[in-house]
Amino acid sequence: MVKEEEQNGSEKGVSRREFLTQAGWALGSAALGAGWTPSADERALQAAPEFESKYACPVDAQKFATFEELQAHFATAHPHVAAPVTTLRVNERDYPVQIEPQWTLQQTLQFKLGLTGAKTMCDRGECGSCTVIIDGKPALSCTTLAVECEGKSIETIEGIAANSRWNPLIQAYMKHDAMQCGYCTPGFIVTAKALLDKNPNPTEEDVRQALAGNLCRCSTYPRHAKAILEAAQGLRDGK
Amino acid sequence: MRRFDHLNATSIQEATSALKNKSAVFIAGGTDLIGRLKDEILPGYPELIVNLKTIQGLDYVHEEGGLLKIGAGTRLADIAADPIVRLRYTALGQAAGRAASPHIRRMGTLGGNISQLHRCWYFRAPQNRFECLRKGGKTCFALAGDNRYHSIFGAVNGCIAVHPSDTAPSLVALDARIKTTKRTIIAEDFWDVRVASCTVLDTDEIVTEVQIPAPDVGARSAFVKFALRKSIDFPIVNAAVFVGGGAARICLNAVAPKPYRATKAEQVIAGKSIDSRNTGAAGAAAAADSRPLEANRYKVQIAKVLVERALLECASAA
Repeated sequence: MVKEEEQNGSEKGVSRREFLTQAGWALGSAALGAGWTPSADERALQAAPEFESKYACPVDAQKFATFEELQAHFATAHPHVAAPVTTLRVNERDYPVQIEPQWTLQQTLQFKLGLTGAKTMCDRGECGSCTVIIDGKPALSCTTLAVECEGKSIETIEGIAANSRWNPLIQAYMKHDAMQCGYCTPGFIVTAKALLDKNPNPTEEDVRQALAGNLCRCSTYPRHAKAILEAAQGLRDGK
Repeated sequence: MRRFDHLNATSIQEATSALKNKSAVFIAGGTDLIGRLKDEILPGYPELIVNLKTIQGLDYVHEEGGLLKIGAGTRLADIAADPIVRLRYTALGQAAGRAASPHIRRMGTLGGNISQLHRCWYFRAPQNRFECLRKGGKTCFALAGDNRYHSIFGAVNGCIAVHPSDTAPSLVALDARIKTTKRTIIAEDFWDVRVASCTVLDTDEIVTEVQIPAPDVGARSAFVKFALRKSIDFPIVNAAVFVGGGAARICLNAVAPKPYRATKAEQVIAGKSIDSRNTGAAGAAAAADSRPLEANRYKVQIAKVLVERALLECASAA
């Protein structure tokens, strides 16, 4: 009963989380000028928290208000330390970040951009929980160096969740309860999105093959296939 | 991971000269290297990582002058999906399509797959907990320890870890040549067992291309793999077979520190029809020289059966 109310809440009423997000945006958009209201997609993307450590110097941990100040500090205080300054294109937004060469993409997404969707689980490229889409192909962000991602288009679960086109996929996951603990779910959904982009009409075998690199310790495997097949139908019907 | 410098190489020359300068290693797909760096299992930690992915023109598959040429930077997924490879170099296509998981096949390259380091849980234990022979130590911990996944054909340089590559036995069966920045090596001679290396390559030598002679009309090849799960896992045993012109080339992997060419099985099946009786004899011959350890006797039976199945698959495809 409670569950049903929560689900309805997102359509009819305003949930607590949504209220907080919208209240925050009311302040933000007031500053940007009247007449501009963010779409639902933009609101969801903006909901990603901005981390305090975003502009901290990796060498002496001093904090700065802007990226430019950090760059200036680095040039004067640590001229001999190579610290790549790069722009990562994540969910169609450019993020200037200062990264260390040894940081993985997963670490950078989580600790620099505040995008916590790509999960660390095995951290060795075996389980698929950290899957993101790099230039259209699902890849393991725990086994990709962030410094090698400059100029590439990265898509994470946050971008998929924010895009209303992919609602059928998320609704199908909810309907079929294709998760228990939910920790592996972002990896599965990102992989499924890449599959449906390439093959909008997959067979169950195609789905199983595509998901063969994602592990689920709660073993909800049959439900993943069911949910994705139903989502494919929904996406084709334009629901 | 500890800090290192990172260089995006734009040419082979730039990469090899960077590898000469300081303690440097190169990265292509990174699926083996990054795990190694996280676990810190190498005897020394590299100061510089040289990225080979930024070098143009290492990613191709095409036939030319009686050879199939595959760039070392070609992803396994692209090899597995290539129609020419699937049709005429079936064993390689099947192997590239069964290695690891779909994600890793899209990231990992052919050059990296054949150059990956051995799998042994003592060697790979994080933070060098076991200072084994492969790290310059004096002991092989697997000999007296848990060796259920180790070699059934004895040690090479004292090490009984297995080479886990799926594409390696296919390349041996298909009689491939491996071209590097310094020379061209016959696939069979490519692997070695040394401290922190499993190939005969120098530290500043890079695999650039794999060449496979085009098979005659009517020749067949096949690859079969036994692993705990259908996806993700390394092989317990795998086998690749090439049959053509009345002869066969048979190679097993994950059974020895190097891909193991089963010459006795090749002699048994040469000139004979491929039916269940002859393949059974070939399978038995493939394992004739096996010397299993305390915990891996079961692998002998798997090796026999895989040779048999790979041969039969060649026959049924004909």
